[in-house]
Amino acid sequence: MNSQRTRWAIFASLFALMVISYTITLKWKIPTSPYIQKSYEFINSLPPSSVVIVSFDHEASSLPEIQPISHIILRHLFSRNQRIIGMSLFAEGTAIGYQTLNKLANEYGKKYGEDYVFLGFKPQHIAAILGMGESIKQVFPQDYLGNYSTEIPIMQGVENYQQIAAVISLADGDRTVQWIEYTGKKHGLKILGGFTAAMITTYDPYLSSGQLYSAIGGIVGAAEYEGVLGLPGKGNRALLSQTAAHLFIVLLVIVGNIAYFRKRRGEK
Amino acid sequence: MDWGAVVAGLLTLAIYSFLYRDNPVYKFAESLLIGLSIGYALVTFWQTAILDKLLQPLFQQGQLLLAVPLILGLLMFSRFSRRLSWLSRIPLALMIGAGAGAAIPAMLYERTLRQVSNSIQPLVTSDSQFNFSGLVVLAGLLSTLAYFYFSREHKGFLGGVAKIGTYFMMVFFGATFGYTVMSRMSTLIGRIDFLLTDFLHYLQ
Repeated sequence: MNSQRTRWAIFASLFALMVISYTITLKWKIPTSPYIQKSYEFINSLPPSSVVIVSFDHEASSLPEIQPISHIILRHLFSRNQRIIGMSLFAEGTAIGYQTLNKLANEYGKKYGEDYVFLGFKPQHIAAILGMGESIKQVFPQDYLGNYSTEIPIMQGVENYQQIAAVISLADGDRTVQWIEYTGKKHGLKILGGFTAAMITTYDPYLSSGQLYSAIGGIVGAAEYEGVLGLPGKGNRALLSQTAAHLFIVLLVIVGNIAYFRKRRGEK
Repeated sequence: MDWGAVVAGLLTLAIYSFLYRDNPVYKFAESLLIGLSIGYALVTFWQTAILDKLLQPLFQQGQLLLAVPLILGLLMFSRFSRRLSWLSRIPLALMIGAGAGAAIPAMLYERTLRQVSNSIQPLVTSDSQFNFSGLVVLAGLLSTLAYFYFSREHKGFLGGVAKIGTYFMMVFFGATFGYTVMSRMSTLIGRIDFLLTDFLHYLQ
């Protein structure tokens, strides 16, 4: 088989395997990792009506991976009657954040302006993060819909980070690092993260030092959170497909190595 | 019919047509994606930064102090003139100065000191247990640093330690690559989910 055909066979088999395994629904118990448990317990421990900032710090390209995380986090927050201030430090995250918040709020019958608000996007993310430490309303004088922040019920009494219980940054890059560096220690604010799997190793040092309170990583993290919350969703469904894909890749690595060593021995 | 889902589904298939070979349908979808992303970002920046934070407060609410950042911003465009380009150094210097002023204290403490202090762990814990992970961190830290120490040739003891450092780095790169593969699979799963649910309505 020539290399082009081999590539085709690999891609086509992988795609078929993933599609088939995605259509299969399996009920399995997923063990909960410590950081998922920590995130879950933290949100559970918040008094009702605490104000939490959920920042959609990602772009559309990472939506398939971030969305299961954002859904389960928002479901947990809304089910515990927490108040949510949504925002984004990425231009592309703005519309995504607004749509996601509205969708999940509708599921729980939450009212815009009272139970949640979406402030929108601010460029110069470091200036925005620092400015919110002084005054959130000054950085976001209006919300995404153009309502004045001073007139939005949920914003009454919310001046700066002193009134915020935690920041949950849903990121596909290093935006959460800026939340950690400019708010964590300075304002004594707990930073939780929801990341793409590729970013997990970047945040490991911050997790082990305690600068980042906890993290939910990729589809596995979302599936674990869905498991602990008892609300199976897209993370749970995607897990079988991802497991099948990984096993297939491991198999390919083994076969590739055997083929390589056999070829080398033949050449000798 | 949800026309948005239909368009998104067709564009998804257009992007995946690249797996067959580079073709005009793929190029169209790619150009559309880039154009839309840039257009969306430009409009968002214009609305949230230029209009909301500068033009409206300056000209409608009379906040005259905002004329200073407006002038500084306009000076950036002086780079297009060979004679006046030196003027752009003023806003650039201010931006770099302000950026460094805000970043250095935070990064020095949060990124450097906190990370260094977290790397220094006691080898015997308070309940008299041996801290094996502390030993691994110590070995990994010193051997990796030895690899990046270029003032002496990597021979003898230093060479051996540096080689151990490369193994620690390989473990890190392997883990990172594994997670990256996981991320790419997740992205594909996301598209499969969209195609099977929103586009084809095969799944609920």
